[in-house]
Amino acid sequence: MLLDLLQNTIDGIASGASYALLAVGFTLIFGVLRRVNLSFGPGIMFGCYAATWMHLNFQSGLIVLALVAVAGAVLAGAYVERLCFAPHRSGSAIAAMVASFALWMQFEELVTLVLPRHVYAFPTLHEGAPLEFAGLTLRPDTLAVLGAAVVLCALLHRLLYRSRFGLAVRATIENPVAAGLSGIDTGQVFVRVFALASAIGGIAGFLIVATHGQLTPMLGMWSTLKGLLAMMLGGLGSLPGAVLGGLALGLIEAHSQWFLGPQLRDLTAYLLLFALLAANPAWMTRWTTSRSAS
Amino acid sequence: MDDFTLGVLTNIGLFSFLALSAYLLLLAGEMSFGQQAFFGVGAYSGGVLTALYGVPLPLAGLAAMLLGALAALLVGLPTLRLRGLYFAMATLAAAEVARLLFELFRFQREIDGELTGPDGTQGFRGIRWIFEHGVEPAEFLLLVYGLLALALAALMIVERSRLGTVLRSVGEDPGLAASLGVDVNRFKLGVAACAGALAALGGVLFAHHNSYIEPRNFDIMLGVHSLAYALIGGLGTALGPLLGVTLDIGLLESSRVFGGTRMIVFGGLVAVLLIVRPRGLLDEQLVHRIVRHSFKRP
Repeated sequence: MLLDLLQNTIDGIASGASYALLAVGFTLIFGVLRRVNLSFGPGIMFGCYAATWMHLNFQSGLIVLALVAVAGAVLAGAYVERLCFAPHRSGSAIAAMVASFALWMQFEELVTLVLPRHVYAFPTLHEGAPLEFAGLTLRPDTLAVLGAAVVLCALLHRLLYRSRFGLAVRATIENPVAAGLSGIDTGQVFVRVFALASAIGGIAGFLIVATHGQLTPMLGMWSTLKGLLAMMLGGLGSLPGAVLGGLALGLIEAHSQWFLGPQLRDLTAYLLLFALLAANPAWMTRWTTSRSAS
Repeated sequence: MDDFTLGVLTNIGLFSFLALSAYLLLLAGEMSFGQQAFFGVGAYSGGVLTALYGVPLPLAGLAAMLLGALAALLVGLPTLRLRGLYFAMATLAAAEVARLLFELFRFQREIDGELTGPDGTQGFRGIRWIFEHGVEPAEFLLLVYGLLALALAALMIVERSRLGTVLRSVGEDPGLAASLGVDVNRFKLGVAACAGALAALGGVLFAHHNSYIEPRNFDIMLGVHSLAYALIGGLGTALGPLLGVTLDIGLLESSRVFGGTRMIVFGGLVAVLLIVRPRGLLDEQLVHRIVRHSFKRP
């Protein structure tokens, strides 16, 4: 029993690590733009499809595939930013969101046009047997995901808290008008943060498909939903919160799957989010009190 | 009219109810990702009533609308004071909970020697009231558009009344509306209940048109589509959401010109359209100009 609990916790943290990366990407974009990018997941999917295409046609190695996935996600992100967010910067948040949804449809159709099969195999990170330790099983590739997530978060932390660019980003998140008045080119911050978030999303997407060993067109919706859910659980707009939210979502899913079965797994996560939002705790909504989050 | 045209026209009518439901909440300043849940509640409850208990469709429709309104109140009561993305995500969570509950919902009875009723992920087969009562597809189309016309007329009368002004003021600036004596929370609850009932009515008709429903019908895609319909068509008049649905289903589903690339073409068009007209084709300014021109006093 205790062993199962521990095992679930390990599995939960492993999947939570990739949710955390998705949530961090979402939070960066939401933080500076105050807009939801529904095309975040589909852009990641686009990158992963580009990598799969490379894999099918040139049998490229994993490093090349990872680079292609990131490049594809950044390219998709740039397209989304130009068409959906640059024109609506000061205007309607809903229009930007619906526009990003329209591009989602584009990505989904584009990838199924080029690679029409429902499932594509993706090379896995590690083929070896799982590690056994005192009755617990550890898959080497999930360890790799965890490691990558930790390294990425550390790098991001350094970038955001130890560089001038990071200062500009944090100032823009805090108050775009004041940031602009103190000489920060907020337009440039928007574009760079969008690229940064898309790159993080691309890495997350690559790690996810490489651990699952397969890619389907559902990846777009899946990443958007998991990322949004983790971001909200962590209390919208805070980067440490996004990491915690991702880990929390992974843990909730792993434990509820074990105790309640796979059918109730997603139900538990959504019910919890609904209850949290309805309870409206202060840490979750401090953004609405300081300014409109819409 | 051939069957295909009839089908497309009926679908436009059916999804218009959902788009109107999203539109109503947008006017009140709330973006809901979850109106598909009430569409689903209407579809399931209406289907259960007619297929399992032999309740006539009109009665089942009324009951489903009531249930849809109640469900919307249930979701709205704890969430309507949330703003922006918080509300959107709360409604999304509620709608996904509803969809996952539909997946767990097994309630079957033997009807004419055959097990009928919702069967979890297998869906709900045999909602045959309109076939059993000899309602022709063309007649059903008339029924759908008759009800839609009623809903539209009601909405347009409301929009031209004092109530409509209050509605838009709550959407524009709830603080200001409250300072003028509007009970914003109660008003929004009322709007949410009406929107839930509208969506549920669409759901009942959808279930009886298709005779088969499954939980997947009511996923987040449907909800975001209905929001998109409302915004593409325009937030200036209740005719806007209808225009949005017609553009999407009508032009897209019926035109095979673009073949496999129609979503690419349409998605790009929508994104560009929203740059030019961020509040949709029929936005408030255009509607105001049209109304002023057509009712010009000599």
